[in-house]
Amino acid sequence: MPTFVYMTRCDGCGQCVDICPSDIMHIDKTLRRAYNIEPNMCWECYSCVKACPHQAIDVRGYADFAPLGHSVRVLRDEEKGTIAWRIKFRNGKKDMDLLAPITTKPWGTAIPKLAEESAPSNDMRDGELLFNEPKYVRMDEGGLHTLESNGLKLKEGVYY
Amino acid sequence: MFTINPFSELSASISPLVMQGYVVLMILMVIGGTVLDMIHKKSAQYFFENAKKAKKSAKRSVDSGEKASIAVQVLLNEVLTSGEFCNVKRRLSHLLTMYGFILFVAATAIMIFAYPTPATPTPAILPILWHIGALMLAIGGYWFWFFIRVDVSAEGLSWYRFERADLFIVSLLTTATFGLIWSFTQSQGIAGWSTLAFVLFIASSTMLFGSVFWSKFAHMFFKPAAAFQKRVTKADGSRENLPLDYDLTDPAVQAKFPDIPQYMGTNPPYMGPGIRRESANHY
Amino acid sequence: MGYKTIIEDDIDVLIAGAGLGGTGAAFEARYWGKDKKIVIAEKANIDRSGAVAQGLYAINCYMGTRWGENNPEDHVRYARMDLMGMVREDLAFDMARHVDSAVHQFEEWGLPLMKDPKSGKYMREGRWQIMIHGESYKPIVAEAAKKSADKVFNRICVTHLLMDDAKENRIAGAVGFNVRTGNYHVFKSKTVICGAGGASNIFKPRSVGEGAGRVWYAPWSSGSAYGLMIEAGAKMTQMENRIVLARFKDGYGPVGAYFLHLKTYTQNGLGEEYESKWFPKLTEMVGKEYLDTEGQHLSHKPIPTCLRNHAFISEVNAGRGPIHMVTMEAFQDPHLEEIGWHNFLGMTVGQAVLWAATDVDPKYENPELTTSEPYVMGSHATGCGAWCSGPEDVSPDDYYWGYNRMTTVDGLFGAGDAVGGTPHAFSSGSFTEGRLAAKAACKYIDDGKAEGIRVSEQQIADLKKKIYKPLETYKVYSNEIVGGSVNPNFINPRQGLDRLQKLMDEYCGGFGVNYMTNEKLLQIGLKKMKTLEEDMEKIAASDIHELLRAWELNHRVRTSESVFQHTLFRKETRWPGYYYRGDAMKLDDQNWHVLTVSHRDRKTGEYTMEKAPLYHLVGDE
Repeated sequence: MPTFVYMTRCDGCGQCVDICPSDIMHIDKTLRRAYNIEPNMCWECYSCVKACPHQAIDVRGYADFAPLGHSVRVLRDEEKGTIAWRIKFRNGKKDMDLLAPITTKPWGTAIPKLAEESAPSNDMRDGELLFNEPKYVRMDEGGLHTLESNGLKLKEGVYY
Repeated sequence: MFTINPFSELSASISPLVMQGYVVLMILMVIGGTVLDMIHKKSAQYFFENAKKAKKSAKRSVDSGEKASIAVQVLLNEVLTSGEFCNVKRRLSHLLTMYGFILFVAATAIMIFAYPTPATPTPAILPILWHIGALMLAIGGYWFWFFIRVDVSAEGLSWYRFERADLFIVSLLTTATFGLIWSFTQSQGIAGWSTLAFVLFIASSTMLFGSVFWSKFAHMFFKPAAAFQKRVTKADGSRENLPLDYDLTDPAVQAKFPDIPQYMGTNPPYMGPGIRRESANHY
Repeated sequence: MGYKTIIEDDIDVLIAGAGLGGTGAAFEARYWGKDKKIVIAEKANIDRSGAVAQGLYAINCYMGTRWGENNPEDHVRYARMDLMGMVREDLAFDMARHVDSAVHQFEEWGLPLMKDPKSGKYMREGRWQIMIHGESYKPIVAEAAKKSADKVFNRICVTHLLMDDAKENRIAGAVGFNVRTGNYHVFKSKTVICGAGGASNIFKPRSVGEGAGRVWYAPWSSGSAYGLMIEAGAKMTQMENRIVLARFKDGYGPVGAYFLHLKTYTQNGLGEEYESKWFPKLTEMVGKEYLDTEGQHLSHKPIPTCLRNHAFISEVNAGRGPIHMVTMEAFQDPHLEEIGWHNFLGMTVGQAVLWAATDVDPKYENPELTTSEPYVMGSHATGCGAWCSGPEDVSPDDYYWGYNRMTTVDGLFGAGDAVGGTPHAFSSGSFTEGRLAAKAACKYIDDGKAEGIRVSEQQIADLKKKIYKPLETYKVYSNEIVGGSVNPNFINPRQGLDRLQKLMDEYCGGFGVNYMTNEKLLQIGLKKMKTLEEDMEKIAASDIHELLRAWELNHRVRTSESVFQHTLFRKETRWPGYYYRGDAMKLDDQNWHVLTVSHRDRKTGEYTMEKAPLYHLVGDE
């Protein structure tokens, strides 16, 4: 179901152009507003729909198989940390509201800057551990699994 | 230069009646261009049909009193402060261009109709406002042209690429620029150049008002109408099929969507901007 | 052409492609390379690029070692079973023992992982899968990558890897063009971690108009990981192991949560259970070790994905379709109903749109399923990708040559879909592979293996010419015709893609031929591929966007050629339900209990195929 842009809502700000993973949201040369230039490369990922500050982008199901008259719209509110959906069926029998969290913490605040972490020891470098390991594997003081620790061997041949 | 009414000086070679006639003609061209555009595109028919369709999913009706208050809000917010813009630079540039244009056009009309000749001396404030308007228009416009236009900022295209969507901004800029040059050269008495500047000024303004059918000029009528209709959909609950804006601390919301309090707490913190933290030109 | 050449030099770790694999690599690289220059080159925008653009509703690779739920070798055995034995078990074990630490860090970063209210553990969807509210999965991990990287270049289509002119078979960086400005970008780097994604749209999709965009794997997965690495001369493995998925019809929405969490099940058009009907015949085809019909209901062993597909396909071909999923029971519970919809909205919104458009309410009707067209990638229930070295403490000598996740090209590492033989990695596993590759890449540099790299001006200039050639072709030869898209001198990327898709579908076992192929067909297909490759020299692009599509097609063609070669080489039907070799309709452990490895000569384009020994984890005696 490719995207389309509402004429009366788009002011040509370019957020959708910037975010589209498929490079298909571009600016119309006559109107300087956005539109989908290649609907058959549109995954309906809704990245542009979520990014538009004016909710000017909407989706109409792929013409191959989706009849008209439906509506699936979204409000992604970064500052609240939630995403709200509204699904309306073509026959009008269903009008669902859904709300889900998209983060549990303020964006980026809990992500470490690894440049500021203390450097790994030589033992760590020579071994198999990654950052925050082995602690974060099981959130305990145990070590990393190895073939020896788990009583295993790799043997060539037909085994099942 | 700034306190001299350039039209008053011009009245020596062009009769004030002609100038006034020109102004009226420009107004008619704007109205004509807009109406023709609406008839040609059947945009009015679409607009009202769409409004009717939206009303079907309305949850409550909006009476005329409320509609009037909405109209006032549109005027105060979207129109007077260009409130629809989320991007600060775009908003600022639009305010400069919009008020510059209004000052410029209003001062022009007043000077041409009320103080057309040296016989009726022009109060200094009018030409000052005329020049300020033109300058604001030029500053906001050139800023927009070189840096803010989305084809330049998001598509990576060069600033000298010209397309039909640029008709409006280009004619605005040439009108303001040649207007200022004309005022300057005329006040300095540089005869040949001032005539040339005036001719280009008139050509630009004729293009500006005459190309309304093809340019983005008419957005100044359509946008407020669209903003009004958008607010009505929020007021009557149809919301253009968009979901609600939820208050996460509301217990009813938390009961309906238990994952919210479960993973975010009953009083979720302000999460700040995420993807929005960076400006949207990643290339 | 007026495009500038912009050179980024002295890079230590270049990450080509910033999906889940690439972001994992970028993030981890900073820890092992405090002072190293880490640069990301991404085709789209890192915040929403890759297969996880829409988000995910589940993390499908989580051991739960924290709660004693599984051990890494359990996952390896599961992957082995699902892939009919064909797994690089050293890589899989390595990924499985590390993956939990990535997941725990995701939670710490703010990704909402669902919890079971009673036990406090993560809410499991299945044995390996946990449920998440993952709409912002990609922006969150992208932020982690951005915090580590020195520079992030968005909108750069990496078209080629740079090879060292001083030493044979060593990587020297990458080149590409900016999809906005059109400028030529050169990245000179000591190592490259390739996370440029698997391949969708190389087989003809079931929907052809707008619907061609509704592919199961993202349409922007242009097989660039394979296209880049094959062109660099890296050995590839298991490229025949394409995946076919049974998903909701048309929308290809996910069924995992439905089966596992909502406990739905499938039926044929007559309302009957149909899978077990096909098992006896399947057992004949693949052997009792892979499918034990009698013991199946006793052992409750999961049935390999491909075999379930086979039952599906066979049932439909027998005329008892459509297959549908029985949701009417589960959806009566409003809580489960909500999960069912959320599952789509967090992962494949298009499926929700389709049901809204067709008034499908799973409470009142059982939606149709279908088997998709094939995809070539390496992080799902399939393991295509580059032949990589494993970790030192696990890998046997055959699988180890110095640095974890390094391909057979020195300094070229892979992550995610790019790495072959590690199926069932999914998002968390791909991120983990990126982390492993990053550590190894830093070690490679610290060991002095990247000294003396030299890139000639000639190589850079030649590549620049190559990259912009389609624009040139278009400009010059458009003079021949009045207008339109039909020109005897060139093809545009859409035309090329249509041709490739039809070719792959008909000769390499697409859905149109019920996934069937044989030696004769494959040989014909290869011949046609050769002609297509010749025509690819004449591909034309009218603007930078089309140039992007042209190079995506180039990578797809390179991937498809590899798929053909591998499919031809493996003379058996190892995965009925993914594809069939009509001339070898049985599984043949005698001759083919091996991994297929290919090498494409960089200069001649010639393919050499070899069998690589298959090692399995067994208990230590």
